[in-house]
Amino acid sequence: MSETAHEAPAKQQPFMQRHHFLLRRLHSLTGVMPIGVFLINHLLTNSSVVWGMIDPKAGKTGHGGVATFQHEVDFIHSLPYLIIIEIFGLWLPIAFHSVLGVYYATTGRANNARYPFQDNWRYTLQRVSGYVGVLFIFYHVATLRWGWTFLVPGGTRWSAEYAASTLAQTLRGHASGLTLAGVGVSLFYMAGVSLLVFHLANGLWTAAITWGLTVSRQAQRRWGYACAGLGAALMAMAWSAVIGFATLDPVRARLVEESLRSAHRAEPALTAAPDAAPRRP
Amino acid sequence: MPTATPNAPTSSRSRTVRFAIVRCDGPGKPERTELFDVPVEPGANIISCLQWIAANPVTIEGVRTTPPTWDSGCLEEVCGSCTMNINGRVRQACSALIDAVSPSTTPPGPGGATITLEPMRKFPVVRDLCVDRARFFRNLERIKAWVPVDGTYSLGAGPTESPDHQATRYALSTCMTCGCCLEACPQFLREDKPEAWDTSFVGAAVISQAVLFNDHPTGATLKPQRLDVLSGPGGVNDCGNSQNCVKVCPKEIPLTESIGAAGRQVTVHAVKKFFSGR
Amino acid sequence: MNGSKHRVIVVGGGLAGLAASVRIAEAGLPVDIFSIVPVKRSHSVCAQGGINACNEVARQQGYSEYEHFDESIYGGDFLAHQPPVYEMAHWAPKIIDLLDRMGVPFNRTNEGQRDLRLFGGSLYKRTHFAGATTGQQVLYALDEQTRRYAAEGKVTKYEHWEFLWPIIADDGACRGIVAQDLRTMQIRAFRADAVVMATGGNGLIFGQSTNSVMCTGGAASRCYQAGAKYANGEFIQVHPTAIPGADKLRLMSESARGEGGRVWVPAIKGPSGGWTRHPDPARDPRQIPASERYYFLEERYPKYGNIVPRDIATREIFNICMEGLGVAGGNMVYLDLTHLGREYIERKLLGIIEIYRKFVGEDPAEVPMKIFPGVHYTMGGLWTTYTPKPDLKGMTLGAPNSMMCSVPGLYAFGEVNYQYHGANRLGANALLSCIFDGLFCGLGVANAVRDAKRLASDEPQALYDRAAEQENAKQRRLVEGKGDQNPYQIAREMGAEMTAASTVVKSGPRLEQALAKIAELRDRAARISLADTGMWTNQNLSFARATADMLTLADAILRGGLERRESRGSHYRTDFPERNDAEFLATTVAQCNPDGTSRIAFEPVPKGIVEPRKRTYGKKDDAPASKPADAPKAPALALAAT
Ligand SMILES: Cc1cc2nc3c(=O)[nH]c(=O)nc-3n(C[C@H](O)[C@H](O)[C@H](O)COP(=O)(O)OP(=O)(O)OC[C@H]3O[C@@H](n4cnc5c(N)ncnc54)[C@H](O)[C@@H]3O)c2cc1C
Ligand code: SF4
Ligand code: SF4
Ligand code: FES
Repeated sequence: MSETAHEAPAKQQPFMQRHHFLLRRLHSLTGVMPIGVFLINHLLTNSSVVWGMIDPKAGKTGHGGVATFQHEVDFIHSLPYLIIIEIFGLWLPIAFHSVLGVYYATTGRANNARYPFQDNWRYTLQRVSGYVGVLFIFYHVATLRWGWTFLVPGGTRWSAEYAASTLAQTLRGHASGLTLAGVGVSLFYMAGVSLLVFHLANGLWTAAITWGLTVSRQAQRRWGYACAGLGAALMAMAWSAVIGFATLDPVRARLVEESLRSAHRAEPALTAAPDAAPRRP
Repeated sequence: MPTATPNAPTSSRSRTVRFAIVRCDGPGKPERTELFDVPVEPGANIISCLQWIAANPVTIEGVRTTPPTWDSGCLEEVCGSCTMNINGRVRQACSALIDAVSPSTTPPGPGGATITLEPMRKFPVVRDLCVDRARFFRNLERIKAWVPVDGTYSLGAGPTESPDHQATRYALSTCMTCGCCLEACPQFLREDKPEAWDTSFVGAAVISQAVLFNDHPTGATLKPQRLDVLSGPGGVNDCGNSQNCVKVCPKEIPLTESIGAAGRQVTVHAVKKFFSGR
Repeated sequence: MNGSKHRVIVVGGGLAGLAASVRIAEAGLPVDIFSIVPVKRSHSVCAQGGINACNEVARQQGYSEYEHFDESIYGGDFLAHQPPVYEMAHWAPKIIDLLDRMGVPFNRTNEGQRDLRLFGGSLYKRTHFAGATTGQQVLYALDEQTRRYAAEGKVTKYEHWEFLWPIIADDGACRGIVAQDLRTMQIRAFRADAVVMATGGNGLIFGQSTNSVMCTGGAASRCYQAGAKYANGEFIQVHPTAIPGADKLRLMSESARGEGGRVWVPAIKGPSGGWTRHPDPARDPRQIPASERYYFLEERYPKYGNIVPRDIATREIFNICMEGLGVAGGNMVYLDLTHLGREYIERKLLGIIEIYRKFVGEDPAEVPMKIFPGVHYTMGGLWTTYTPKPDLKGMTLGAPNSMMCSVPGLYAFGEVNYQYHGANRLGANALLSCIFDGLFCGLGVANAVRDAKRLASDEPQALYDRAAEQENAKQRRLVEGKGDQNPYQIAREMGAEMTAASTVVKSGPRLEQALAKIAELRDRAARISLADTGMWTNQNLSFARATADMLTLADAILRGGLERRESRGSHYRTDFPERNDAEFLATTVAQCNPDGTSRIAFEPVPKGIVEPRKRTYGKKDDAPASKPADAPKAPALALAAT
């Protein structure tokens, strides 16, 4: 008798169930686009503090990564309707992805102790990285974008005009050197970006199964290598960015930035930046 | 009586193994663990030891207890009855040779050979090692796991099929509804309320069966209905891709390939539905 | 449910039960299926090798349905009634087509046709197969169809329910059953206008066998005790190739030989051509030179070789071991696949060699397997009747008495039915007979119910209350029993005794001795005390009850064997080694006495369309090969219970 069918409840399904497929797939999609794409871009920008040093152009002016980074930041800040792009292209998708992600994570129960397989560890880490990632992104945006300086040891306020120096200062805790709290912030950044990079690379791997792009075992394995490769590259960028800023001397960076500012004002034609007028933070 | 037994690959002498069995008298009753020392012959498996305990239900303290209850049928790993957690891992008890599960030759006692038996945790316990897997069968019904033939009348042969296609279908068709893949799945959680079954994750085996029947020319006539279920709550989107299922499946069914195939079918189904309006 | 006042109960959800349910539901009658295990876990899943049917390729090579029929009759040593076998052989191709349509993944040829293999007792490839788990695949196909009917409300499944007793009304017809929910232990009576028993075989009576753990024969025994006749009980098929094991004898399918497996023992050929034992018992089989391998089946049966029918292969293997030629002098011979090559073996036989790998831990592609005979199939069963066509070529479709027991309204389908296989079943004919029973005779059941004058719904409630109370009372006696007997011990002794006395070789004195032992066990069974007297999922109670029922059936099996003073098919008497058609071309019919003993009568096998002929399978010399050495001193099978 135990297997006899029972009547399905006739009442209207709750929202989450009615739109189950759409929400699930939007969750997956937003992770790749725009969030994944943004993350790649963002890491590229931020790691410029390191790769900028080998940029031959920057090298010639002797300004190194600081200048390249400033250049990148200036470019972003020159985009029209930046706030609209940020809200709809970034913050909302991130909020959507995070809220649903946290909810979906509650539908599972990790069991790595009994089944300590590599794939299963990635399953659990994907969820942990999601949780930590949300916290990290919140901290990152709140302190740097919204100016919640009370969360920043040393109370530094990040400024787009002095992008590298102020960033280095928030990571290090003080303009003159690395404080203990600064070490904590830097480590938190290190962990946060590492987990987010993992989350993206592993998410790309699972998304391919979810969407049915990789079906055979071989395809899943091959795509796994590709994701691992991408993850490794992003990890290199992420670490170089964090280490780059955590080891950057804000005072010297500030000097480079000031020299850039004055150069801008003096010879506006030299730079391609359309927004040459100085903006206050 | 055979004068010779087949060469057991492992130990050739009998020894004693301690069994720690998680017991429960019925739904809602408390659990307890009872210990039994069992003389083990080479080639013995978990079921033959349980049979011994049932005939001699005396714990190591010398207390007479009730014989433990468990499910079994074929004893050759083809019926799917005897699934349980053995030393913390889910598997079929009938094919779990003692020498493989507990190779230690140390006598029972602290640090000695001990085997723990525990019921599956994702299904309600009926008694001791018996659980109720009705939800699993209900899900097979939901995804219409059958080929809708016109009836038993004589209507000629079925569709011809290439050997490769047959091999693919056969592999999926050997699923014995044992539930190992569900027990090990971090996304498949215990759900005792039948009302909630239809919106809780169906699990790898059921997804794989849907793929199997979608892959049969006549079975495919129900494909849209199956995909409606698989794209809904509890469908293939609830899979978290931990890939535990494929590693514990005793029949080595390529479950993660089925999950990928179901993902693809559901994607195409959604696009089709979007553009056809239904 | 669907407004019908009729109801049919099918007890058993193996191939026979599910085929019957599908057919009867299709005919428009509501069906209740009762099964101890979820139907998908029925013993039928174990069948490995395949299912026989004439097919186009074989037909063009000279095979036909008639040939299939003739082989089955010959294989069964002319004990089977011919019209049902004739009908079954002619339905076989249609049944394969139906299974094919239901999606059974039969193996395919390059062109996409169903592939075929050779099986024992035939010179033609006529066995269809799905990997090495044909029974599983076919059962699943029927399970799926049943699930579909269940979803439509036409079939109701009572899984984890045990059949306890048939309810027989005052006109002598069966109108329901008493059954027990094995979880809540609730006992209930159910009304039905017809009851189909499809409860399978009784291998557990012999202790260890190739059967599943629920194959006790308990259900058949209860019908027998309730007055149904039991037929040909002494015909027990011992499969030649089983893997000895602690809890079960795992079958090594006949397909291993059908696909080219060779049976041999290490030995030395003497100058006169006779074989003797090699002095070194511990040789690695791979190192033994070809000249020291005695392929005794091939040598003794040049025509059929390794694929002689089961009873012959069993006896030959048994004898070789009795002569001391077994592997290492023990009860074991080699079944060798190694010459076939790993690729071929894995493609054709993967499922069964995995069983060997899993349970023995050796790879059959590398090392010859060690095997010995084991109890496998119950040819006997509930006595049934049918309506032959006037020319004896088949049965009348839809006849209301199709495979009806001696109790009207009670039917027996599948392995629990004694028809089709006579004194020995041919490999891959059982799946066929189970499905055939369900499909062909299911229609008869539907017709009988629709035409019935009296319905279960008209019977007084008292009939059902009384039946349920009777079972409750029996159960109370068992639960309250304060004796000193352990049911597991009794079952073990029964298994050992039955295996020793009533399998490959039998003799009058040994059978009498076994009857005495069974009587003793029956006495002891009355003094069982249960280790568990609770009323929730009490497996101890079910087992104890089945043990008593098995003893009743054991008595019928032994007494049939004792009174059949001849040798035929699987029944081999050392004291009567020849077939005796004058006296025993007859069905053994047992009836149960109130004390659980049985009385035997012989009912002549009706004349059919082929005349009995000598069954030799082209054996080279009629010399001692198939004559066993004198009855063994010790219980001789690998399956002796321990
Ligand atoms: C290892 C092995 C291999 C085989 N290979 C082949 C092969 O290759 N080809 C071939 O043709 N045949 C083969 N056979 C034989 C064949 O499998 C069986 O004869 C056939 O499956 C029997 O089917 P059935 O429907 O009669 O009974 P079963 O499948 O045994 O089903 C019996 C049903 O009855 C139920 N039942 C029993 N007692 C009760 C009760 N008291 N109350 C309620 N329900 C009850 C059970 O739960 C079960 O559902 C093989 C047999 C074995 C053991
Ligand atoms: S891959 Fe999906 S179905 Fe399989 S165990 Fe992981 S979450 Fe469960
Ligand atoms: S897919 Fe494998 S593990 Fe899951 S139920 Fe089927 S056989 Fe068992
Ligand atoms: S008893 Fe059938 S799978 Fe273990």
